[in-house]
Amino acid sequence: MNILFAVILGLAMGAVFGIALEKSRVFEPGTIVSQMQLRTFLMLKVFLTAVVTGLVVLAVLNGAWGVKMFPKALVWQADIVGGMLLGVGISIAGACPGTVFAQIGAGYRDAWFTVTGGILGAMTFGYLEPALRPIMLSGGPGKLTLDQVAHIPFWAFALAVAAALAGVLAVVERFKPWREEAGPDFDGLAALASRPEHSTPASLSSASA
Amino acid sequence: MTLRDKAWSPYAAGILIGLLQIPAFLLIETALGTSSSYVTIAAHMAAFADTSVSKMDYFAKHMYGAKNLWQVAMVIGIVVGAFASMKMSGARRQTISPVWNRAVGFRSLSSRAPMAFAGGFIMVLGARIADGCTTGHGISGVAQLALGSTVAVTAMFAGAIATALLMKRV
Repeated sequence: MNILFAVILGLAMGAVFGIALEKSRVFEPGTIVSQMQLRTFLMLKVFLTAVVTGLVVLAVLNGAWGVKMFPKALVWQADIVGGMLLGVGISIAGACPGTVFAQIGAGYRDAWFTVTGGILGAMTFGYLEPALRPIMLSGGPGKLTLDQVAHIPFWAFALAVAAALAGVLAVVERFKPWREEAGPDFDGLAALASRPEHSTPASLSSASA
Repeated sequence: MTLRDKAWSPYAAGILIGLLQIPAFLLIETALGTSSSYVTIAAHMAAFADTSVSKMDYFAKHMYGAKNLWQVAMVIGIVVGAFASMKMSGARRQTISPVWNRAVGFRSLSSRAPMAFAGGFIMVLGARIADGCTTGHGISGVAQLALGSTVAVTAMFAGAIATALLMKRV
């Protein structure tokens, strides 16, 4: 593949990704920490909508044209230990490995330290990888997918999961409207005055400030 | 819904992100992901001081080639896209988010910086152990119905929720 084409396409796709992350406010540390404290669900909405869209896109690409897919292998220890560390890091960083770049673009200065820490984390892993491979990065059943396990065509299973997740999103939105979750300063944080311990009894009803 | 808006519906933004799978699968022949770009950057930085890096399999396979450079270009594009989006809407940000004062009592960059660094380190170390992050395992892996990605995403939310609940209410 032409490297110049790949780089230009990467920049263009990244620009679209960056706009979507900034406009959805999912790049905000306030959105991430509020989500993980289960107070708002803005991150889950963006995340699951991207999953649902991907399911429909891949159901068509793979189901109609047989486009090749790239599922990652199931390796229990690596997925559980790595996934949990990733999650711990996400709450401390207030970012995901991709959204921290949107934080830099939007002007949060601590994001430069997050990225520096991330690069050193990747470097550390690169040096540890030969030692970790036999004990936690190998073994397991390989590239197993749910449609293979259930013996259902990918496109059918994907569309069913997409429909179920869309239903979940509809219920969540009904109880937690996104406009209120974005917050008055669009930083994923509710106004302090709207929180019971910071407000007088008379203002308790104005929770959506 | 224009670029001058400070916020879009999370559903519109999520659809836009999901549609990025089309050029990823058709033109780059890979799924959307962001965390292996850290390995590409780390490998080139390490290679300055350590000439053996290019002979280590894991670093070597991330250093060159269209897919690796595509992903590095994409994370740079995220910076540019978010900057342009913020400029056009005027949603200017402070030095650090006010969430850090609410959650852990940090008001300044100097108090927050070590925490951000540690968070970034743990986050990407974990992503590389799991072989994917919120994008690669989450958005792309779950959309391919990969069992490993479903396990990794469940572990990710468990770790993130447990950690966030140790902080003060935001």
